[in-house]
Amino acid sequence: MDDIITTENLSKSYGEVHAVSELSLNVRKGEIYGFLGLNGAGKTTTIRMLLGMIRPTSGTAFIKGKKVHADNVELWKNIGSLVEIPYSYPDLTVRENLEIIRRLRFLSDRKSIDHVIDKLQLGEYSNRRAKNLSLGNAQRLGLAKALIHNPEILILDEPANGLDPAGIYETRQMLSNLSENHGVTIFISSHILGEISRFASRIGIIHEGKLLQEMDTSQLDRVSRKRLLVKAKNLKAASLILFQKGFNVTLSENEILDIRDKDAIEKPDVIATLLVNAGFPPTLLQVEEEDLETYFLRTIGMKGGVK
Amino acid sequence: MRSLFAAFVTECLKLRRSRMLSITILLFVFIPLMMSLMFYIQKHPEIAAKLGLIGTKANLLQLGKADTEAYFGFLTQILAAIGLIGFGFVTSWVFGREYSDRTAKDILALPVKRSFIVISKLLVIGIWCIILMLVFFVSGIILGKLIGISGWSVEIITQFTYIFAGTSLLTILLCTPVAFLASYSRGYLLPMGFVILTMLLANFTGLAGVGPYFPWAIPGLFSVPAGTDGMQLGAASYIILIITSLLGFVGTLAWWRFADQK
Repeated sequence: MDDIITTENLSKSYGEVHAVSELSLNVRKGEIYGFLGLNGAGKTTTIRMLLGMIRPTSGTAFIKGKKVHADNVELWKNIGSLVEIPYSYPDLTVRENLEIIRRLRFLSDRKSIDHVIDKLQLGEYSNRRAKNLSLGNAQRLGLAKALIHNPEILILDEPANGLDPAGIYETRQMLSNLSENHGVTIFISSHILGEISRFASRIGIIHEGKLLQEMDTSQLDRVSRKRLLVKAKNLKAASLILFQKGFNVTLSENEILDIRDKDAIEKPDVIATLLVNAGFPPTLLQVEEEDLETYFLRTIGMKGGVK
Repeated sequence: MRSLFAAFVTECLKLRRSRMLSITILLFVFIPLMMSLMFYIQKHPEIAAKLGLIGTKANLLQLGKADTEAYFGFLTQILAAIGLIGFGFVTSWVFGREYSDRTAKDILALPVKRSFIVISKLLVIGIWCIILMLVFFVSGIILGKLIGISGWSVEIITQFTYIFAGTSLLTILLCTPVAFLASYSRGYLLPMGFVILTMLLANFTGLAGVGPYFPWAIPGLFSVPAGTDGMQLGAASYIILIITSLLGFVGTLAWWRFADQK
């Protein structure tokens, strides 16, 4: 697969503060790359460097093999972007705001505005001034500006901000469709991990300016921790039986037995049989897999991961 | 050229929908209106007595004979001051709004060079200021006729037009440092503070006799009648003003090109 976005030891410092440190990542053609991090982790600084808005202190960013810098205007022809909260000219209508982008992108087809208004379901608001839009619709307008020219590459910073659940779902479907059916490469930053885990094909975790991990989401199943949760009417007796059979059992705060042994997780039926035969049938038997959020928190060393 | 045209058209679109253009036009009509009112009062002392404070002020201004020469002389003096503030405000708004509305980031990663965006903004500012100057000029003439100012002649009008255009042009050239400060500070406050400061300094340097060497005093001195001691502009004055303008222009271009756009 071709690398579409590449960074090599990309760093940005503000005096003593290292906003981004030696970040090297690769985004391949057609993939949705989820760039995860807490607020202030360095996501927006990285995105601004990818868009030539901030000059790196050291390192380089490449898009389609071309070095990113402010004067490389040809580069932006095939890139759509949305940085942080999208703001538009408040006194201009939705249509007029899009007209400005259409002209600055040299799109001769005036219908491109109608198409993107339809795509983002902004028809009802097309003649409304941007200052009178709800946060969700302002976000849609931001996405419309990013998508008006049908770009090959989308660089989106927290695009789900302000959208309601239906809007988040629609955006997710739209981005998945662009990636799967049109080969659009999407670099998307977010701190809403559950959202990213639903449709990203690859994730990168950034924390305190450093890229901690980069992996395919399909790998998450392999690296995420799992545990078997067991409940029974007599927890003490059930726990003793499992302990005697060599399982490492702990009693969690909410009165559930927590077993981390690989054998138990892979064969919960064995545990069930053991407990039934001993006369303490389980009332709950559940293999719980760490979700992306928990995995992320564990990776950055914060509470919340499966301990 | 296509880039510059596209950037220029979008700047016009932004301006068209804004109330700022009409507000500044009203302001540039209001001032000659006030001026002509003062002249009218000066010409009619019986009205001055009835108007109390306004009448007293009109008399205090000592507008002299209240003829065309005095009228236009006063008008150009006011233009020098109102031009600095008005044109400075226009520049602060055109550049500063991109930051206060947080729209600047949306026009950076586009196929149009940032330098064209800066140039098109400056072009729009130039055109806007010329419109304001014409509004001031035309309303000044119409109001002067309406209040019956005496002593109209082709020579005076020609002379007035020349001084008026020169003062305006020199003031417009001083917009570029304001554009730089609006970009540097990402908003309106610093450039507007700077505009007010330069106006104060222009008056102070004018009084101190070094006005011809202080860029922001130069447009005002252009309108001062010939032969006034310590207020005569020389080649050095114009060179200083042009260098200031160029520094502002290059600084703004460099800021948009090289500074981090956070």
